[in-house]
Amino acid sequence: MSDPAAGGEPVGENVAGESPETEPESVTDETTVYEDDVELERTIGLVGGLAIGIGTMIGAGIFVFPGLAATEAGPAAALSFAIGGVIALLVALPTSELATAMPRSGGGYYFVSRSMGTPYGAIVGLGLWLGLVFASAFYLVGLGHYIVAVLAEVGVSLSGLPVPPHVLLGLVFAVALTVLSVGGTENTAKLQNVIVVVLLAILTAFLTYGVLDAAGVFGRESVPGEFFSQGQLPVLTTAALVFTSYLGFAQVATVAGEIKNPSRNLPLAMVGSVIVVTIFYVVTIFVATSSFGAERLGEFGETAMVEVARDLLGFPGAVLILFAGLLATFSSANASILSASRSVYALSRDALLPRWASRINLRYGTPHIALGMAGGPIFVLVATDQVEILAEVASFLHLVLYALICVALLVLRRRDPSWYDPDFRIPGYPVIPILGALASAGLIVFMNRASIVIGVAIMAGSYLWFRYYAADIELRGDV
Amino acid sequence: MTDRPSVLVPIRVLEGESIPDGVPKLLADANVVLLGYHVIPEQTAPGQARMQFEERATARMDELEALFENAGATVERRLVFTHKAQQTINRISHDEGCLAILIPDTVAEMDDVLVAVRGAVGIDRLARVVSGVFAGSEASVTLYHVAREGESDADAQTLLDGLTDRLTDNGFDEGRIETRIGRERDPVDAIIDATVDFDALVMGESDPSLATFVFGLPADQVAEQFLGPVFVVQRERPEEAD
Repeated sequence: MSDPAAGGEPVGENVAGESPETEPESVTDETTVYEDDVELERTIGLVGGLAIGIGTMIGAGIFVFPGLAATEAGPAAALSFAIGGVIALLVALPTSELATAMPRSGGGYYFVSRSMGTPYGAIVGLGLWLGLVFASAFYLVGLGHYIVAVLAEVGVSLSGLPVPPHVLLGLVFAVALTVLSVGGTENTAKLQNVIVVVLLAILTAFLTYGVLDAAGVFGRESVPGEFFSQGQLPVLTTAALVFTSYLGFAQVATVAGEIKNPSRNLPLAMVGSVIVVTIFYVVTIFVATSSFGAERLGEFGETAMVEVARDLLGFPGAVLILFAGLLATFSSANASILSASRSVYALSRDALLPRWASRINLRYGTPHIALGMAGGPIFVLVATDQVEILAEVASFLHLVLYALICVALLVLRRRDPSWYDPDFRIPGYPVIPILGALASAGLIVFMNRASIVIGVAIMAGSYLWFRYYAADIELRGDV
Repeated sequence: MTDRPSVLVPIRVLEGESIPDGVPKLLADANVVLLGYHVIPEQTAPGQARMQFEERATARMDELEALFENAGATVERRLVFTHKAQQTINRISHDEGCLAILIPDTVAEMDDVLVAVRGAVGIDRLARVVSGVFAGSEASVTLYHVAREGESDADAQTLLDGLTDRLTDNGFDEGRIETRIGRERDPVDAIIDATVDFDALVMGESDPSLATFVFGLPADQVAEQFLGPVFVVQRERPEEAD
């Protein structure tokens, strides 16, 4: 089985005189083939793909957001998560179709640049890189909170520091993760798979117990509380906030060039991971709000789930969830840094960023500059300690990408170029991509003003960069 | 003249690994599938490595290809950037229908070749490799079988004679074939001990089992201790069902 690659060679030169790399000749189930018998092996299977998707997502929704979301929307926060899940699914389906037609590194950026042209590509490509940077910073602040909570549990309190202790720890891990990605040669993908399995096992056990408890099986009084305790509008603003918990499925597409049997594994990994995490999120919020009530939950902040576990299962429960929270936020941050580095590579391959940005160092064989371009800004952003802004800007930049992915699908289906031959065609065309585009754009409206301003500024900056640096580059496939 | 058997020669092309002396001559009658591969860590996209290293790797592949062609072999070449070397080697071996994989090592004089015979399964492929590679040379081959418990010498001799017949059918000079039967407990140790007097070794790939996960493949264990080239004859892969 061999598909032709996306048609039409990209052309043009950037300011530095670099041109986009030529496209591969063909894509098979096991390799990407270039001329002169050069092949790139595909080494990530379905389990690996699911682990990337679930591992990136599950950290934020369960271990950082429940307290924040419950404060804003009350028990209806469960509905906010459900809305986020539905929107993610509306985008995951079109993304899957595009990914099976163009299983190349860069994911959403690649689809948009090949179908709608370089300016759109530059905006979403640079946006994807920075969106992942924002997301990573957000996860690291969460990780900092969990470490502080662990230390508090063993009686160590870090006070008297010039910066809040969770920020300091977030900064330490920002540096550590970047250094680890540059110099680490251990098998990180296997580790990621193990972490995800352990997490899902812990959560399933914990949530099953929680649901039975809320249903009164153990004879305890649960706190019912009014569902829309904060009104109905906050359900939507909260959905916009917590959408950061659903960014991971697109990370699967950024490694599309390395997924084995992409026509089967890409859709399964993307859609599957969205469905799995949506179920976990909704049940988590339900359990959390039934055990404490939304208001008290909010007072516990980022590590609210630890208190829920303590209430349900006592000290061992708290320890278990602390451990899970550490694993989850760590794996989310790690996966996002690696994806950000992959995005830099995709942009540099197309000459939208300098070629040196994706250089590999000879000692470790890792892209130290691209990883640094992820780690550096992450460090600065962690220092701001603005959890909600970080989360929303990350969501904003991804939502713009998602809306354009849906538009890209509409464009390609209408234009129907000869090279466009996806193995997976979504049901419900054109309703699903239209709804996906509208919902993605619509969610942005409910964000904080500050987040929207920062997001728009980044998009404008990306466009200006394109005009200055790579105005002559044409990436769109032949019509 | 028999068909040229396809023999896979995997080389870490960017890490200075080269073709040891004598190997091109050894494979003069084979169809060499030259696999240059470069293993990269998971943090790196394979395409990223290609952008930076393709030119250097291709130049190196040209040199290696010329080495084999000058010795008289036919050459197919593949250059692969990968995260997992074993997956790539297996895929290419299957793709190109390779009968054996060569674990290369220096060989000065090619006089005596040890052929380890495990059983009747896959003996046809073993015969094709031995006759294809060595029939045209001066080397003599010793067919060696380590008998299992309860296996009589007569049974073992029948097995080796069967292989001898196949080799002579393929045009191998019978005067250059010897047979030997071993009675040791551990076949892998027995083969390692036996290799002392030989210049090259041909052996079968064994089925993956629990023991291979713990101790590694027997072929790898042997290759580590034997200071000469080892041909690992690949078992027939069932056609994958789609």
